[in-house]
Amino acid sequence: MEIFFGKTKLVLVFLFVILAVNFTVAQKPLAGNGAQNMEPTGEGHSVRPAAPGSFAVVTGNGINYNGGPVMKGNPVPVYVIWYGNWNGTGSNTAATRTAIEHFFATIGNSAIEKVNSTYGDTTGNVSGNVSFGGSTIVSSTTNLTDTSLRSTVGNAISSRALPNDPNGVYFVLTSSNINETSGFCTQYCGFHTHATLSGSDIKYSFVGNVDRCPSGCEIQTTGPNSAATGQGGIDGMANVISHELEETISDPDLNAWFDSNGQENGDKCNFNFGATSTCNSNGLCTAAGTSAKAKFNQTFGNHDYMLQQNWRNSGGGACAQHL
Amino acid sequence: MHTQYVARMIAALAFLGPLAPSQEPVKPPLNPRIITATRQVAQFSALEKQLLQAIQKKDQAALEVLVSDDFTISMPNADPLAGDEWMEQVMGKDYSLKSFVVRQFWATDLGDSAMVVFDRSLQATYKGKPDSGEFFVVDLWKKSGDSWKLVNRCVTKVSSPAASKPLHRPTGKQ
Repeated sequence: MEIFFGKTKLVLVFLFVILAVNFTVAQKPLAGNGAQNMEPTGEGHSVRPAAPGSFAVVTGNGINYNGGPVMKGNPVPVYVIWYGNWNGTGSNTAATRTAIEHFFATIGNSAIEKVNSTYGDTTGNVSGNVSFGGSTIVSSTTNLTDTSLRSTVGNAISSRALPNDPNGVYFVLTSSNINETSGFCTQYCGFHTHATLSGSDIKYSFVGNVDRCPSGCEIQTTGPNSAATGQGGIDGMANVISHELEETISDPDLNAWFDSNGQENGDKCNFNFGATSTCNSNGLCTAAGTSAKAKFNQTFGNHDYMLQQNWRNSGGGACAQHL
Repeated sequence: MHTQYVARMIAALAFLGPLAPSQEPVKPPLNPRIITATRQVAQFSALEKQLLQAIQKKDQAALEVLVSDDFTISMPNADPLAGDEWMEQVMGKDYSLKSFVVRQFWATDLGDSAMVVFDRSLQATYKGKPDSGEFFVVDLWKKSGDSWKLVNRCVTKVSSPAASKPLHRPTGKQ
């Protein structure tokens, strides 16, 4: 009898240990989601005065300087990872890749990009110049998560497909068959963030082909650069790209320029285009854009674009197409 | 025998235990990033703010513009609350909405209707007592001519004010 209960006690203790381990393991997926993970790395509202001998930060224009650095490269290099199937149909084509890379190569010192030169930190201002630093293609049919997005950027750097450049901006541009499951099309059209990858503070952005959700992320279904009617992806992406580019340069580590509501310069003018012109047969628009009477408000690199305005950090602050 | 039975039950529980949590979705982390909101998110976050401002200002006319006649609110462990009852409560003298923050918007375009999901922080009092907290809200909006009307709301209080975050701390996700 004693032996029986002794064995039973041993079994019960053993089972209790298994239960305890099971319940502990079961809690792990939820335990890592604390509120501390929900905030950007930098916070605070105080305006940082210039230290003696350093650069004075201009404030008081409806957006606050929160102490972090801006990207002052002249130019700031941009790298692109084409993810998904960019040899497909619609706007998922090599022509779109070429056009977007041309966009990156020519937006530097354009009227809209110069608006960003009103932002600075204690060592200087943004130059307003941008260059295209190169691209790589990642063919895939797998949707992205925030984790796999970060890995995609990390792999491009560690494999040396793209350089390791903490002073550059990396864009992951996905074809319209790819979802970013953290909220593409339902919450956002794109986003920017940063992470330590290959030992560097890498600034990167996600922008999906907005032909996936024209009503959510496009201002017009046929734009000035559309190859055919209803293929507004290239112009819609260019608009979101410019939003993310201006924000990344002025707030690369999420601790430099945003207002008291957490809105960065691009957010303050989201889908706000200002005065526009209409494509006509004498202009630079494609035949499809001209036929659809597409709107545009910027011209550079021998192309017309419809790009949202950017918040100007001067003259009291306003959404602006140019300085 | 009884002890053996209990031991067997515990053994069964021990091995089935890990399966129980797997019935629930694993909550993904909220990664730091600053988004370009979709047009629907921009549109409906503005409407939700208008609705809360109307409550804050006790502006019944403004509230009626935003809410449909058959509006209902669903809450856990409660019968649906009719829109007119809700309006009486929030427009009444007993309820005072001091401040609010809405964030983490999701909007799904369904053609003539839209599903909007967001987090909401309220600082409020009811009959002089604190009635604040963090809420998870799912709203169904329906197109009515050129405007939108709120037709159904599912709301869950997710934490008390003590556990809630400071109201005006920017997250970049508003």
